[in-house]
Amino acid sequence: MNIISSKNISFSYMNSEQASLKEITIGIEEGECIVLCGRSGSGKTTFSRLLNGLCPMFFTGKLSGECDTSGLQAGNATIEEYVLYVGSVFQNPKTQYFNTDTTAELAFPCENCGFPSDEIKKRVNECVQRFQLDGLMNRNIFKLSGGEKQRVAFAASTMLDPKILVLDEPTSNLDASAISKLRRMILEMKQSGKTIIIAEHRLAWLNDIADRYVLFESGEIKQEWSAKEFLQFSQSELYEVGLRATRLDILKEIIENKLNSQAVSGNVLLKASNLVIGYDKKTEVYKLNTFCLYNGTVVGLVGHNGVGKSTLAKTLCGLIKPLSGSIQWKGQMVKGKQLTDHAFLVMQDVNYQLFSDSVRDEALLGNSNHEQCNQVLKMLGLSEVSERHPMSLSGGQKQRVAIASAILSNKELIVLDEPTSGLDHYHMTQVGNLLQMLKKQGKCVLVITHDEELTAQWCDYIIRLDGGNYGTGY
Amino acid sequence: MICLDPRVKLYLLLEANLLLFFHVNTVTEVIIVVLFLLPFFLSGKTKSALRFTIIYMLLLIIGMMTDSAGTNTLLNFVAMAAVGIRMILPCLIAGAYAFSTTTPSELFCALRKCHIPEGIIITCAVVIRFFPTVMEDYRQIRDGMAMRNIYIGMFHPLQSLEYVIIPLLMNGSTVARDLSVAALTKGIGLSGRHTSMVQIKMQIYDWIYMIISTIPLIMFKGGFL
Repeated sequence: MNIISSKNISFSYMNSEQASLKEITIGIEEGECIVLCGRSGSGKTTFSRLLNGLCPMFFTGKLSGECDTSGLQAGNATIEEYVLYVGSVFQNPKTQYFNTDTTAELAFPCENCGFPSDEIKKRVNECVQRFQLDGLMNRNIFKLSGGEKQRVAFAASTMLDPKILVLDEPTSNLDASAISKLRRMILEMKQSGKTIIIAEHRLAWLNDIADRYVLFESGEIKQEWSAKEFLQFSQSELYEVGLRATRLDILKEIIENKLNSQAVSGNVLLKASNLVIGYDKKTEVYKLNTFCLYNGTVVGLVGHNGVGKSTLAKTLCGLIKPLSGSIQWKGQMVKGKQLTDHAFLVMQDVNYQLFSDSVRDEALLGNSNHEQCNQVLKMLGLSEVSERHPMSLSGGQKQRVAIASAILSNKELIVLDEPTSGLDHYHMTQVGNLLQMLKKQGKCVLVITHDEELTAQWCDYIIRLDGGNYGTGY
Repeated sequence: MICLDPRVKLYLLLEANLLLFFHVNTVTEVIIVVLFLLPFFLSGKTKSALRFTIIYMLLLIIGMMTDSAGTNTLLNFVAMAAVGIRMILPCLIAGAYAFSTTTPSELFCALRKCHIPEGIIITCAVVIRFFPTVMEDYRQIRDGMAMRNIYIGMFHPLQSLEYVIIPLLMNGSTVARDLSVAALTKGIGLSGRHTSMVQIKMQIYDWIYMIISTIPLIMFKGGFL
């Protein structure tokens, strides 16, 4: 019995001439787990929005064809009608919570349905038991790590016991151990007979969960494979269709070797000795071993969510002072805040660091060398959009604008925070090439990342912030 | 630890505003402030309750000492400031008590029990949710500005404002969209009565406290205080 069946579905968003989905026909059986894969913008997310009623009710547009989700017709049924049948989890852990504490978030869907208090408490308790969330209850969401947020968000999506779960890139901000915890929760739901649809770039964690893989390309279903067929593909075959790796063991070996390699040539740019970092002594602090950064290298900074990677990045960029220990810049001792003159941080969410109303002005902010600016914009493929407003660009372009201003600031240390989260293989490679370009210019590039593929392929050596083995495997 | 019903806390907040409205004399004000501070101490928030007590007492003493300021301009100015701040302090105390000792869930439950329309409750929820988000965003933007050697300064107030406001608004709109989507798929738009997991009930002492805290106000209006 098909619980979801779509016939010749086409959809184009309002104010967009291009169709996001073209003639999609697919049937999904009850209890199946389907992975929607393909490049960014290939229509995965749009298709998932048809299944939970967000398209065309919230994201309006032109719809043709028939899409039946558990008896609800896309285009006729309201979002509210879908609530009882479809649970949804989204990409960004930061914006999934409507409440400020975790328990209230679990209760929220039940409260909206008007369940009596005792029934809600019972359901919350069952949910906590089922997913072992005891430690995460009654917590302030602003104090949770990305992985913890995403687990509670998944738990909340199951509160009304929907038959279908739709997950839109749930792991794009998570580290290996957070992914494996989320994976266990999803597996549990699969075993209890739910139909699960996951749109995802990172594929390795889905082995043994997925029954079928559906490849989207420019709004069409290009191909479908059973899990058995799909897992036989080699890495290069996957890369050919723009997909990421399904096996990480080879990559992990490479990463392990890079961890142990000490042979790094070049001038010592920065030497940090016995650093203790943190915001203040009362909250958590991190003690680090002495390490060096060299000109002309790409360094991966890895470690679990919440282990202090971002704090270290901010310290090295002079945004917060180290609590103790010393930092030498080219052999000279520097005070914490002086590092802002030497280091540039490209944030994970670059929207926070774009201030001007055109790409050119943005690049020239703090550097008035027009000639160099033109060169850099050309190098990054931004010449054609140089007069556009940075906010009107795609995510990848915005990131490149931030990198352009990093280069033009003439700082020698460039720190990138999670530059490949939520990127497909093609765009990840693009970022990797950018890192190489910065390296060739003699910059020292420090990349904070959870992305095994990026670390294995593009980093010269790796600094890990927590002890023990790299990752635990899925 | 004793906690009053959220509805009583809201009532105290309303009463604090009435105090300002009726322009009560010092004796009545002192009695009512004591009545506000008592549950504040009992709720376990001793530190902030103590802070308010000290500030209030200081202002009271300054006010009394400068009562006969005569024609000294500076003294008169100090007296005016002391009285002015003291007058709004009851509102601040009642407000701080109400909002630092109530979880959002309890507050929403209280509002639902008062038959406030769901639309207003959702608005409150959004405001409570948005504040910390905006603070987080602001910190990130300031870091972003520091990377470009732009600092929030006194010299270019308009320019610094622009650098903060534009990314803040741009992000605000995407955050708002994503939050709406998440809330809609969890049924925030469902018609019919929404319920609360948290349950609150007016106890006998809640009623008593409401009455006791009203007495000084009535006595003042009746001319007894």
